[in-house]
Amino acid sequence: MIEVNNITKKFGRKQVLKGVTFTAEKGEITCLIGINGVGKTTILNAIMALTPIKKGEILIDGEKLKPKTFNHITFIPDAITVLPQMTITESMQFMKDYYTTWNEERAQELLSFFKLNPEDKIASLSKGNTAKANLLLGLALDVDYILMDEPFSGIDMFSREQIANVFTSHLIEDRGVIITTHEIGDIEHLIDKVVLLDDGVVKKHFYTEEVREAEGKSVIDVMREEYQG
Amino acid sequence: MKINFNRREPVYVQVVRHFKQQIAMNMLEPGQEIPSRRELAGELKINPNTVQRAYKEMEEQGLIYTERNLPSKITRNEQVLQVVREELIMDAVDQFVTTVQSVQVPLDEIVTIIKEKYEQTNADKGEEDHD
Repeated sequence: MIEVNNITKKFGRKQVLKGVTFTAEKGEITCLIGINGVGKTTILNAIMALTPIKKGEILIDGEKLKPKTFNHITFIPDAITVLPQMTITESMQFMKDYYTTWNEERAQELLSFFKLNPEDKIASLSKGNTAKANLLLGLALDVDYILMDEPFSGIDMFSREQIANVFTSHLIEDRGVIITTHEIGDIEHLIDKVVLLDDGVVKKHFYTEEVREAEGKSVIDVMREEYQG
Repeated sequence: MKINFNRREPVYVQVVRHFKQQIAMNMLEPGQEIPSRRELAGELKINPNTVQRAYKEMEEQGLIYTERNLPSKITRNEQVLQVVREELIMDAVDQFVTTVQSVQVPLDEIVTIIKEKYEQTNADKGEEDHD
């Protein structure tokens, strides 16, 4: 389980996170929702210790972040980080050299799952294929937790569908996933849990099936209530 | 398998209902294997945990059974199958009665209409079958 306990963060005088608390369990997909600039990416960066936090703590399987933690967790940012002149094969080799958790078999499977051509240069890929290559490089690592920043943002509908299919496949199975998004539509039925962020705090934290069962509300209904009510 | 999901109702409930309909209509036969949790999740594009929940519910209601590590199958229990059929009919009738009562149609009149409709659709179906 990833536990985020009351974390705060300031950029200059701007207080971005004002005490954010939530958990993300293994075997579940937790979705951080909020408008742009609400601090979603900052939260993911904080979990990866890529940005210092002012107060609060983050625990992974009950332990504080330490160098070894990062053998159990991976972060897939919203833009690909490998060098654009590399081919997909070269970028895979790069990851393999760098990470002991690289799983070549799964990487090959992802390659065919996404129908990517390994000889293509990263720079020559379409937006949708860049997003897929980016996911491939992260998902091929044998880790317990995966953080994905806006995996569906700005890409065509067919690529979105293909990426959504990953979530129901064994490529994700049993891992804990946190994804951020500002549009829930496509993935409403794929996620277990929602964390609604607004103005630096968690407005609401719920399981999608429970809200449907107990209140007869869709995720979008709850968002409307919380953000506009 | 394809389901048009309502966003405001638990997805697992909708999956269970869909199976019941398929069973009542004989699209799923007693003893037939059902897809694995992951296969169905992929097909319906829903969360595998939700399918798990639906299968657990169906298992508890005796709609499906699992032997050792084999894929789950539709029950062969006649009594359960009968209940599923009745439940589906009762649901449809309840809904119909509520709608019709709200426009205050006398029972005789409605029974006549139902009979006519029923015969007409049966006749249409018969014609189609001859094609």
